[in-house]
Amino acid sequence: MPVAASAIYFLNLRGDVLINRLYRDDVGGNMVDAFRMHIMQTKELGTCPVRQIGGCSFFYMRISNVYIVIVVSSNANVACAFKFVVEAVALFKSYFGGAFDEDAIRNNFVLIYELLDEIMDFGYPQNLSPEILKLYITQEGVRSPFSSKQPLDKPVPNATLQVTGAVGWRREGLAYKKNEVFLDIVESVNLLMSSKGSVLRCDVTGKILMKCFLSGMPDLKLGLNDKIGLEKESQLKNRPTKSGKTIELDDVTFHQCVNLTRFNSEKTVSFVPPDGEFELMKYRITEGVNLPFRVLPTIKELGRTRMEVNVKVKSVFGAKMFALGVVIKIPVPKQTAKTSFQVTSGRAKYNASIDCLVWKIRKFPGQTEPTLSAEIELISTIAEKKSWTRPPIQMEFQVPMFTASGLRVRFLKVWEKSGYNTVEWVRYITKAGSYEVRC
Amino acid sequence: MAPPAQSSRYPSPSQPSGKGEVSDLRLQLRQLAGSRAPGVDDSKRELFKKVISYMTIGIDVSSLFGEMVMCSVTPDIVLKKMCYLYVGNYAKVNPDLALLTINFLQRDCKDQDPMIRGLALRSLSSLRVANLVEYLVGPLGSGLKDNNAYVRTVAVMGAVKLYHISASTCIDADFPATLKHLMLNDSDSQVVVNCLFALQEIWNSESSKSEEATREKEGLISKPFIYYLLNRLREFNEWGQCLVLELVAKYVPSDTNENFDIMNLLEDRLQHANGAVVLATIKVFLQLTLSMADVHQEVYERIKAPLLTLVSSGSPEQSYAVLSHLHLLVMRAPYIFASDYKHFYCQYNEPSYVKKLKLEMLTAVANESNTYEIVTELCEYAANVDVPIARESIRAVGKIALQQYDVNAIVDRLLQFLEMEKDYVTAEALVLVKDLLRKYPQWSHDCIAVVGNISSKNVQEPKAKAALIWMLGEYAQDMDDAPYILESLVENWEEDAPEVRLHLLTAIMKCFFRRPPETQKALGIALAAGVADFHQDVHDRALFYYRLLQYDVSSAERVVNPPKQAVSVFADTQSNEIKDRIFDEFNSLSVVYQKPSYMFTDKDHRGPFEFSDEIGNLTVGVESEHEVPATSVDANETSDLLLSTTEKEETRAMVANGSDYTAPLYDSSSRALPSQGQSELAITSLLGTSDPGPQASMAIDDLLMGLDLTAPPAPASAPPSLKLNARAALDAGSFQRKWRELPVAISQECELSSQGAAALTSAQALLQHMQGNSIQCIASGGQSPNFKFFFFAQKAEEPSVFLVECKINTSTAKAQLNIKAEDQSTSHEFSALFQSALSRFGMS
Repeated sequence: MPVAASAIYFLNLRGDVLINRLYRDDVGGNMVDAFRMHIMQTKELGTCPVRQIGGCSFFYMRISNVYIVIVVSSNANVACAFKFVVEAVALFKSYFGGAFDEDAIRNNFVLIYELLDEIMDFGYPQNLSPEILKLYITQEGVRSPFSSKQPLDKPVPNATLQVTGAVGWRREGLAYKKNEVFLDIVESVNLLMSSKGSVLRCDVTGKILMKCFLSGMPDLKLGLNDKIGLEKESQLKNRPTKSGKTIELDDVTFHQCVNLTRFNSEKTVSFVPPDGEFELMKYRITEGVNLPFRVLPTIKELGRTRMEVNVKVKSVFGAKMFALGVVIKIPVPKQTAKTSFQVTSGRAKYNASIDCLVWKIRKFPGQTEPTLSAEIELISTIAEKKSWTRPPIQMEFQVPMFTASGLRVRFLKVWEKSGYNTVEWVRYITKAGSYEVRC
Repeated sequence: MAPPAQSSRYPSPSQPSGKGEVSDLRLQLRQLAGSRAPGVDDSKRELFKKVISYMTIGIDVSSLFGEMVMCSVTPDIVLKKMCYLYVGNYAKVNPDLALLTINFLQRDCKDQDPMIRGLALRSLSSLRVANLVEYLVGPLGSGLKDNNAYVRTVAVMGAVKLYHISASTCIDADFPATLKHLMLNDSDSQVVVNCLFALQEIWNSESSKSEEATREKEGLISKPFIYYLLNRLREFNEWGQCLVLELVAKYVPSDTNENFDIMNLLEDRLQHANGAVVLATIKVFLQLTLSMADVHQEVYERIKAPLLTLVSSGSPEQSYAVLSHLHLLVMRAPYIFASDYKHFYCQYNEPSYVKKLKLEMLTAVANESNTYEIVTELCEYAANVDVPIARESIRAVGKIALQQYDVNAIVDRLLQFLEMEKDYVTAEALVLVKDLLRKYPQWSHDCIAVVGNISSKNVQEPKAKAALIWMLGEYAQDMDDAPYILESLVENWEEDAPEVRLHLLTAIMKCFFRRPPETQKALGIALAAGVADFHQDVHDRALFYYRLLQYDVSSAERVVNPPKQAVSVFADTQSNEIKDRIFDEFNSLSVVYQKPSYMFTDKDHRGPFEFSDEIGNLTVGVESEHEVPATSVDANETSDLLLSTTEKEETRAMVANGSDYTAPLYDSSSRALPSQGQSELAITSLLGTSDPGPQASMAIDDLLMGLDLTAPPAPASAPPSLKLNARAALDAGSFQRKWRELPVAISQECELSSQGAAALTSAQALLQHMQGNSIQCIASGGQSPNFKFFFFAQKAEEPSVFLVECKINTSTAKAQLNIKAEDQSTSHEFSALFQSALSRFGMS
């Protein structure tokens, strides 16, 4: 049996109930109490997202300053339950216009109750697609739920016909003056490098985000420079594979709008897009990742009370590109008393609350290698021997127009029976996922 | 359903206390009720919002019921929804007032707007008031036939709700048949999915009563129906697909071609963005290929990539759910992820529950080719700031060492841990080195050199200290100053935990046999301290050693320090049967909890009573006097199932105890005594002590009960007509047989005293009490608040026995008894006696 949730609660960090929706009678009344008693007020909190108390199981997730708790009494499908919460939060966010936190919930609680009624009935998930729900849950959030671009026509007054249709993600009769498609390839690089500079683990998780403002029922086709797609294409067209970089995707998942049968036979991504913003596909790559940055730390402990830290960061992407918002967090011991440093670029400071030197470089051009050298004085302690465990150096960055995987869009075609022209915009960006270098 | 009333216990400045505001609201609502002024809906909205927000934070606004209903006559749909929500919340506690709402809800059910029809129908079916169901049948019937799909989806769910309020009404109205028709013919996918939800629920619970329902239930996994669903699969939304795939996993195709057809059809589902769909698909693949070994392997290869993607994408909670599944898979096929071990390297900021599972994965995938990298990585975590994770990772290194044949490098690492000079690292490493030495005695030389350098003053944790002491005793001849270290430890006798003191006694004995002159002094002190010890086990062991030495030193050596064999395999914690059961429940909570669903879902919802399962679910009786308990029950199975019901540690000790005595089957993390042959186990004896002491020795005592147990006190106030044998004996096998043969003589519920309920924190407490009343326990289990026991008793004069199954819920202080008796005529007397004994529990 999939979810069959008996109840859903939203609690703030203190344990006050923000939303309380009971779907079934098979759990006792005061499940919130049980949750507060056995999870929130104990060390259990955060040790495991699934807990059994009495005959009930609790799934809980913290999202900003809110706990969402699902209570079930049967042997529920865990993946389904968590996915449901994630999707529900995405839905709420699309209604509130971005933020999902205690205030947003307090301000919109009637709307949330309305939505909870629609997305789940008697504990079974129903329709969670914002596109469809917005057609008939019309009470707007406090902020405007719609993007600045409004479709020209009014939604059909009786929208329920479409609530459950086969193309659940797009309604008919949309019309825009200007037909536009935005496509973003967003990649996060995860890196774990040993102190000796060897790559322990490295992968890229990417997603393709789209924003469509297209009239009618358009059919889109996307071509990437991935290996399988290219091979298939050359096979179909009886041409030898073009030389040049091809990317091997380890695994791909698609939005439900993508015709998977066609993907499997022709290896092209074809789809009828939902209106507005959505995530077209996600992929994962482990081979041939271009790391945008190399970090070369040297940390010397000089006696018991002094340390010398030298960190060199090398940008390995093209010289014409630049990274934005680069933050390098270099951990230092808790008993740091005084720090002094020199940087060749950007600004650095010591942040005692996270025990790190935080080095920020707003604009970081390619093929450069700024350095930071710091001297750290420590309070001498007797009790703790060798207590500093040297957490890894962590990095945050964004590199526009760069993909760590090398993935590129080869074409994006739009067909609609009325044959209008569309404007396509493609962007690339690479962000740091968990970018860690041990030192 | 009333919102929780306790939020007054968590008062917050922003939350009003209630009273005044509620009467205020009532006034305002009354004013608005009849008004037709423009803008009145807006002010109503504001008021309704206030009411709902009070309701949410737990203020009782049910007194406004009448006013709310009066105001609800409005075309405003938002107002209607708020009103429906309010009514749904309070109807159950105000059944009389709920009647007021029927009228307007029924009228709304006929509204021309399908939206309103749907909403009204949902509210109507959510009232959950039993005597209003008659008003529900009509609207539901027309809802199911509505030409709007939205109304139909709502009506379908309404039918299940009705079933739960009054099953007979739902059946009599022939809703299941209507639903079935809709399920097979409706053009709307959500209606089909909801029908499936509904019918599964209805037929599942009906199938115990009617054969027709059983047939229908089986019809859901018949070929035509499964094919029907598969053909429509792409129409369904992601949640519907999950449901359908779950059902397909239960389907058994008639031949392999069909197998491949289904898999080909579903292969693209592995690319679905919703992880739940992917997992459900994986389940189908795994189940379909169970009997085809080579294809099954290919399936593992195929699902690898999607699973790894799911781990690395999504929230930590989702990763956790997926990792639990990966762990299950990797236990079945360790090689599949052997080359992908890097995916399980921990990230610094991950929550500890994810890290912990990743460590388990790393342990599980380690093989000859990747051990070096994995162990290197694990060693990095040993210095982690998160101490529990650091400990886990050291344990993981140890587990890998015990799995592998080439342990050379790992031993070095472990020894490095010992030199890291962090207390918890040293502690964990000591325990591991001890286990390692038990398996690979050939390493003793290297290890002892390092262990000898550790100052016992730096080791505080009992488990680690015990391990150190064990090594000191075991390798006394290789460590020059072993006797002196032991001597210094004896001096601080009082400060150590009983566990450590027990080990100390044994270690000194062993040391004494090898190096008598140096140890004699320490031995004297230790035995004296031990005999004077307040802890029963320590006292007994010291006395036992003392007498043994008095009797004959060489015999004593044979008993205390016999030649030992290296441990070849440490006991596995779960039997294959359990693992298979969990595997059958892939993609559910069972995998996360690592136990089959019957162990954690409510027992009352389960099907017919199955004895073999039950006994497996319970611990082997600890207190009873029957000869060699539980050996006739399949030891492995019993003990494995126990995992869920008792603390793991206790269980493991019992595994070793119950299963095979001569083979030293000890689990590394068990806090039981290190295996030193049967003889050493035969040391302690329980003299009816109230403190049960370490569980391990409890299990042991069991075997020796017959030796020197004083008779338990006679039943305090048993009715004179029925006398029970205080030393009744029955082994588990015959209990099981008798239980199966005998009919239930009496089945009733009785009350527990509130003190009794409070005192019942563990099964042991009650066992002792009942034993005092000549009622023995053969098996027990459960965790607060639900316990379950199997008792037996024997008549004093004749061999006729009574068997009792007793389920106790401490939160309600109620006990459910099922009594079976060989001599039916005395069963009532026995029942009275049993209940009086039970009711006295906790009084003393």
